[in-house]
Amino acid sequence: MSTPTTISLAGVAKRYRGTTALDGVDLSFGPGITGLLGPNGAGKTTLLRIAATVLAPDAGDVRLLGRTLRSTEALHDVRCRLGYLPQEMGFPRTFTGFGFVDYMAVLKEWTQRAPRHDEVRRVLALVDLDGLATKRVRTLSGGQRRRLALAQALLGEPSLLLLDEPTTGVDPEQRVALRQVLSRAGERSTVLLSTHQTEDVEALCDRVVVLDRGRVRFDGAVTDLVATATGKVWLADGPDPSARASWRTGTGRHRNVGEGAPAGAEAAEPTLEDAYLLLLGDRARAEGVAA
Amino acid sequence: MSATWHADDELFASYVRGDADALRSASLEQHLIHCETCRSRIAQHVEPRPLELVWDRIREDVQAPAHGPVERFLARLGLPESDALVISAASSLRVSWLWGVVLSLTFVGASVAWGGTRGLALFLAIAPLVPVVGVAFAYGPAVDDTYELAVASPYSGPRLLLLRTAAVLVTSIPLVLVVGLLAPGLSWTAVTWLLPASAFTVVVLAAATWVPATDAAAVLMVAWVCAVGAAAVRHDPAAVVDPAVLPAYVLLAGVAAVVLRRRIRHLTVVRRLP
Repeated sequence: MSTPTTISLAGVAKRYRGTTALDGVDLSFGPGITGLLGPNGAGKTTLLRIAATVLAPDAGDVRLLGRTLRSTEALHDVRCRLGYLPQEMGFPRTFTGFGFVDYMAVLKEWTQRAPRHDEVRRVLALVDLDGLATKRVRTLSGGQRRRLALAQALLGEPSLLLLDEPTTGVDPEQRVALRQVLSRAGERSTVLLSTHQTEDVEALCDRVVVLDRGRVRFDGAVTDLVATATGKVWLADGPDPSARASWRTGTGRHRNVGEGAPAGAEAAEPTLEDAYLLLLGDRARAEGVAA
Repeated sequence: MSATWHADDELFASYVRGDADALRSASLEQHLIHCETCRSRIAQHVEPRPLELVWDRIREDVQAPAHGPVERFLARLGLPESDALVISAASSLRVSWLWGVVLSLTFVGASVAWGGTRGLALFLAIAPLVPVVGVAFAYGPAVDDTYELAVASPYSGPRLLLLRTAAVLVTSIPLVLVVGLLAPGLSWTAVTWLLPASAFTVVVLAAATWVPATDAAAVLMVAWVCAVGAAAVRHDPAAVVDPAVLPAYVLLAGVAAVVLRRRIRHLTVVRRLP
């Protein structure tokens, strides 16, 4: 099955004053939800900013919806079909929730007042904020602001939805509600979801890309990444000092994520988090040897 | 109490339309209070759409943000509502900023009234910088909370910048002009400062295609205050707006305008973010 490529990055590199954010990344994405995982500074935010046309790469080719971004027209057309949620953003201080999304809708060229307000109400309802639309943004909680920020990204059902940590500060109930919104968006749009929440990736994404220091460390199905941890996760009565990670769980037993089975251990079902720890744990060990 | 008589469809229809006479309406209303059958039947005669429309209008009025003074003023000038909204999100257009301008100009006006040369120097040092500061704080990564989102949106970056610039000029220049004209002893200086002010505004806009507008404005401000200070030391602060130097501002504005025109598309993609 071939799906259309909507985002294509070839040899994309970006440096900020001496630090490499992206180091020649080749990736392409099509409709569906792809999770972006990686430690802080891995290049996730830079990648999303480049895909959101906010940042120009130092080198490499970026194609969005089949177009290069060299002409102003191409840039405009792509931006019309793009929804972006930055990692950190402020709100104009005096705005209400409705006013903020309304302002964003104007920037997205909804010039007619009546259809624009209908659309604003639609996206506010999607993130379950329609009841708080008249409150000033500064009186909203962190999770509510995050949902408000997500609402503006959903305006006009964009073909490209680029979300940088959309669930930060959002409570579990709302997070599950947002999954519903995102999974529906993923049926027709290309959704890139950068996050630190491995359970969000496990719940939503079929594909996962793990970035580390500006390079792609893993790119494939979520199930394939989880499978790399099969036989490396153990439940034992005590901690295993040779494990990459080991902690006492609520049941009193110790979950050990590592190669060898400790004595008296039984194999446990691996999660994406285990596989992620193992993948990046190799790096930590390599660094330890080098140092 | 059970009703044996029921209203007919024709009565319902004329009542709902509002053309039943007062007596028939009153008796139907009396009847409706007691008769559940008729209550449910009259509901079918009521067009639900107008009700929804009324509800939509109410919701619209409640939720739609109230327009600020700046927005209302711009709308009265004939600007489309959407453009007024874009302008009002600029931090420098808040009422508090306007009050800041008024306050600083009051001091300047007072000093002009009292202090001869020194007051003139103060006026000349501040007046041309008011629009410059306003423009610098109207757009850019350092001052606009939604800068990244504005860049990623299809709305034209140059249009955004120029709209906000125009709005800053429209709201600030009249204030400074009024203060200048009210203050005694300024004569032509009350107007000539507009030339350096316009030149500096265009320079800041042109510079904003390379560096943050706030940085450019800071450099300009220091340079201008030094120039006015140097002239004041020689007891002739008005030298900075001497008829002989005025063409230089026109030239500067022209060059900056050409640069801005050639580079304005650089506002659409950012190379650096803070």
